[in-house]
Amino acid sequence: MTPTDPPEHDPAHCRQMFAHLSEYLDRELDEAACRQIERHLEHCDACRACCATLARTVALCREMPAHAVPEAMSARLREAIEKLRSGDRTVSGARPD
Amino acid sequence: MIEAINAGEIDRFYELVQRYQQALFNFGLRICGQAADAEDMVQDTFLNVFKYLKTFRFETQFKNWLYRIAMSACIKRRRRSRFAPERELSLDEFLPSDEQIAVDTPAWAREPLDRVLDEELARRIEDAILALPEAYRPVLVLRDLEGFSTEETAQILGLTPGNVKVRLHRARLFVREQLKEYFSHDPHRSA
Repeated sequence: MTPTDPPEHDPAHCRQMFAHLSEYLDRELDEAACRQIERHLEHCDACRACCATLARTVALCREMPAHAVPEAMSARLREAIEKLRSGDRTVSGARPD
Repeated sequence: MIEAINAGEIDRFYELVQRYQQALFNFGLRICGQAADAEDMVQDTFLNVFKYLKTFRFETQFKNWLYRIAMSACIKRRRRSRFAPERELSLDEFLPSDEQIAVDTPAWAREPLDRVLDEELARRIEDAILALPEAYRPVLVLRDLEGFSTEETAQILGLTPGNVKVRLHRARLFVREQLKEYFSHDPHRSA
């Protein structure tokens, strides 16, 4: 890929760039590969939109709210650990039926 | 803290539990899909940590070791749970199609994050993660929700870093497709 490459959507080239978009977003590519992707994104609307929505998908995953721990779980866990401390080696994580 | 526990300050084990139980419970929910399975997994994990803490080698970060145990516990629980069908995700199924070429970046990718992420969307993302085939789900959860690096994720799952990158990319594209579909039904947000 060079700066003189045609601006039209080239499926083969898109596929090649598309395969590395996550590494690009994660800054896991070397500088030359990053520049190559950036040049492609400059003139490929489809890949640019794809990159933006992929970046947003990652950002949304990272911001996902955490669920609270059920109170009963903490109590049950403490009880199981105490049993283990007292020498009961049969205790497991299985919930009582 | 671990040295103190191993030296006999057993009560401090509860500090470990306090520190990690919520993260592990959420990890379990996202891998197993059911709160009951996640609770069992957390208990299995901490009991195993309690039993084997003396064997913990400090060349591995404790959190990575903990998640490796948690992942094994999830795999054991998995047999009892309903999971998404196992299949390979191909890069080609996610390639931008020609009709998308003229489409600008949609609003959901442009608006401030806190305006986009509400409870309904969070549920939709959780559903999308649970719909991921098993080979891909833990990779995405560890990398994008738990914040582990590629190397750490590879170590936890026993994969190569290259394999983690490939699976992560396809998993993200899968979730992105679900989000595109979700927003396509909301004209105010997809424009």
